[in-house]
Amino acid sequence: MTDQPPSPEHEFAEEQASLWRITLGPLIWALHFIACYAAAAVICAKLDASPPAIEAMRWSIGAGTLAALAGIGWAGRRSWTQWRDGNDDVFDDDDGSNEDRTQFLGHAALLLSIISFLGVIYTALPAFFETSCL
Amino acid sequence: MQPVPPEESRAQAERLRRTWENPTGWRALSIVNNSQVGVWYTMTAFAFMLAAGVLALLVRVQLAVPDNDFLSADRYNQFFTMHGSAMMFLFAVPMFEAVSILLLPSLLGARDLPFPRLSAYGYWCFLIGGVFVLGSVLFDAAPRAGWFMYPPLSVEDEGVGSDIWLLGLSFIEVASIAAAVELIVGVLKCRPPGMRVNLMPLYAWYVLVVGGMILFAFPPLIAGDLLFELQRAFDWPFFDPERGGDPLLWQHLFWIFGHPEVYIIFLPSIALTAMIVPTFARRPIVGYSWIVLSAVGTGFLSFGLWVHHMFTTGLPSMSLGFFSAASEAVVIPTGIQLFAFVATLLAGRVKMGLPMLWIAGSLAIFTAGGLTGVMVAVAPFDWQAHDTYFVVAHLHYTLFGGFVFPVIAGAYYFYPLISGRMLSERLGRWAFWLIFTGFNVSFLPMHLTGLLGMPRRVFTYPSGLGWDTLNLVSTVAAFVIAAGFAVLAWDLIRPKGRERPARRNPWNAGTLEFTPDPDEDWGARSVPYIDTRYPVWQQDRLVERIEAGRFYLADAPEMKRETLVTSVIDARPLQVLRVAGPAWITIFTAVATGAAFILPTFEWYRPALAATVVAIAGVLVWLWRTATVRPEAEMKDAGLGMRLPLYVSGPGAVGWWGMWITMLGDATAFASLVFGVFFYWTARPDFPPPGADFADAALSVAAGVLLAASWALTVGARATNRRHRSGIAMLCLLAAAVLACLGGAALVGAVHLPDLDPTTHVYPATMWVLVIWTSLHILAGVLMQLFCLAGLLTGRFTPRYDAPLWNIALFWHFLGLKVLVTVATVAGLPRLL
Repeated sequence: MTDQPPSPEHEFAEEQASLWRITLGPLIWALHFIACYAAAAVICAKLDASPPAIEAMRWSIGAGTLAALAGIGWAGRRSWTQWRDGNDDVFDDDDGSNEDRTQFLGHAALLLSIISFLGVIYTALPAFFETSCL
Repeated sequence: MQPVPPEESRAQAERLRRTWENPTGWRALSIVNNSQVGVWYTMTAFAFMLAAGVLALLVRVQLAVPDNDFLSADRYNQFFTMHGSAMMFLFAVPMFEAVSILLLPSLLGARDLPFPRLSAYGYWCFLIGGVFVLGSVLFDAAPRAGWFMYPPLSVEDEGVGSDIWLLGLSFIEVASIAAAVELIVGVLKCRPPGMRVNLMPLYAWYVLVVGGMILFAFPPLIAGDLLFELQRAFDWPFFDPERGGDPLLWQHLFWIFGHPEVYIIFLPSIALTAMIVPTFARRPIVGYSWIVLSAVGTGFLSFGLWVHHMFTTGLPSMSLGFFSAASEAVVIPTGIQLFAFVATLLAGRVKMGLPMLWIAGSLAIFTAGGLTGVMVAVAPFDWQAHDTYFVVAHLHYTLFGGFVFPVIAGAYYFYPLISGRMLSERLGRWAFWLIFTGFNVSFLPMHLTGLLGMPRRVFTYPSGLGWDTLNLVSTVAAFVIAAGFAVLAWDLIRPKGRERPARRNPWNAGTLEFTPDPDEDWGARSVPYIDTRYPVWQQDRLVERIEAGRFYLADAPEMKRETLVTSVIDARPLQVLRVAGPAWITIFTAVATGAAFILPTFEWYRPALAATVVAIAGVLVWLWRTATVRPEAEMKDAGLGMRLPLYVSGPGAVGWWGMWITMLGDATAFASLVFGVFFYWTARPDFPPPGADFADAALSVAAGVLLAASWALTVGARATNRRHRSGIAMLCLLAAAVLACLGGAALVGAVHLPDLDPTTHVYPATMWVLVIWTSLHILAGVLMQLFCLAGLLTGRFTPRYDAPLWNIALFWHFLGLKVLVTVATVAGLPRLL
């Protein structure tokens, strides 16, 4: 980064990218949650909730969960790099420099990835333990 | 930074004072300044809270002894319904917005937020709607089906009560969304130069999160209200199972709003705590990014909890499991915040003070409420406790601990900022111990009352069930709480003219909120450069330099109200924004909007339509007056040698952000209606009913094509105007408006079939409601196109001054997507099902 102010287009793109990075983990959690809810609504309420259909749903939720966890893991790893890169001395990110702002956004995104990771595991547990819709 | 000569500084201050001077006497009603409107807003919300509290006392009197006849069953139903509705919609959410509107400009070192007239409009809507809804109690006409208005009871209920609830509160929800837009744009774009995202006061982070939650939580309720009112007024069978409807859809839409709403109430109070704790611990907060994480994380997770209010509705247990799990997961981010506060207190050198006393009380009470929350989030436990006094106890513990106590702490903490005086230490201690003791003695026994089987919302009960003593204790203690509130209210309103003025920054806070002079209307004397999280502690002689006018915008040579607009992430200065001053058009428009919502309650549809037209005309006049103002120069010296533009259009402009954020909320309401279609499909075997007609395919496709063309022409108008082809731009807008009208007509024509009568079955009703929603937006889109056409024709909008064209193009992006989804859902989906 130089002291030259960035162009408005560049700045807007950067703003969008930051927002995207920070909310990626929670967004994956939300998609996973909606998919689980929709699957249960369709299989258990709309269709006949037959045992093979439920089995298929549970396996699909399992696969979807692994995919979601992998996605969040990837996002978390990227945030980890953003937080730790060049951050070899102190963990403070409370001054007005570019570096501290970048590290703060990395740290916040990392923490959100962790909470989303746990959230996805929580959501998947009912499908792991319950064998019927009743 | 050169010192400013004293006489020059005095002249600057005088110009600023005259520029920001507020009208007095009856003309004061036209004030739009956020810090003044914030005071009105706070006082109004407090008054509504006291009124709702009186209703609670009357409810408790009725329950004091078995077989009591103090209130009739009907009166009782009105009172408990209105107690809950008023506390939620007239106190909790508006109080957050009121406090934020009041504090945010000072906290960000800004002169004002970007849309002061929008805040004023929101306030007047809130006042009118609140008086209307709450006033119905005095005419024995209040809603009486409980604050969540479950059908079929609320639909079948005779009288105007349910309509007052639906229309009055929808009106207030619109005001809430208006405030949310103002607050979000304020935090994103009006921070002082240098205040990057990692330096934002935590309060601003919470405002951002809660504002976002309001945008996604309130629209589903507005969509639900629309369905509900269509059933009550026109017999469209959304919640009538005999015609394919399902009352559970209301419960879903209500709680998709209602559970996030709990966090919409709770997070701002945590935000106040996050401001007060560091001040009294006399050190920066421990775990800043951890708190940001918990705010954002709680915001997201809170949208995955709504079904835990519906555990007993017979949904598949698998579904219940998902929501139970998410309800337990939300405890993690919630807990992190509390631990961060405790850590800050442990690491600091704590000095006690009244605000800290209230915060301590809040932590104790909220933790107890949180623990019972973990219990009721477990579905089998909830099946036992559902709709009993256990739940009443739980929700009051979370709301008192998570809202009432922190807000009172905030009142003690921020009072000197508003009035320049302190509240009384002695009265404050009395109020605290009365409310704290009264609360626990009143509500702790209710857990037991509930476990002993007493259902909530019964107007009386027989003796001998073990509930008598517990109820009497709760009632007596309720009066102790009331005594505490009486002390608090007296302390707030008692005359303090003869007392010593409070010191500036009396608690020695590190953030900027106490820097403005309470005797001046201008906010910050000069807008500072910030490069720390606690600038008053960490930046040398900051307050002195702000006061000496040594930062930005220390003068108002053109006698125009101005504030700085900065970039979203790094707060790099972008623009000197001219902010609107006092106006009557906001009150006028608010009154007309109020009439448009209130008149249909009494089935006066023609006057309501007239009021709607007047309200739209009011909005157009208001926008025309602000959108056609051109600054006298291209650039302006903002101080310290920085030159900034006075006019910005497109993604750099606050108006564009306001539109973007509003449309996000609007899209959520639309998504809720589409959710309704999928809900009926999964929950009902006869959706669509066998042999039902489909929407006309040719007309639907024609609507899609015509409206897509209108969308493209609107975007094209913006682009050609930029390239100095104003003539072509005008032709584009004219053609776009014509095509949009034709497209809207085709869309309505597609479902206007004899076999698609919306009163016969929920299938045609859902199709119609999507078409109506989209058509109303098309109408708004056409008005916008004509507005810009008028601007170009009169030469007010030019290739340089084209912000409205950017904003309506953004509106049309959203509208274009809505049209495509509507056509696909109405004409395509039923053919596939």
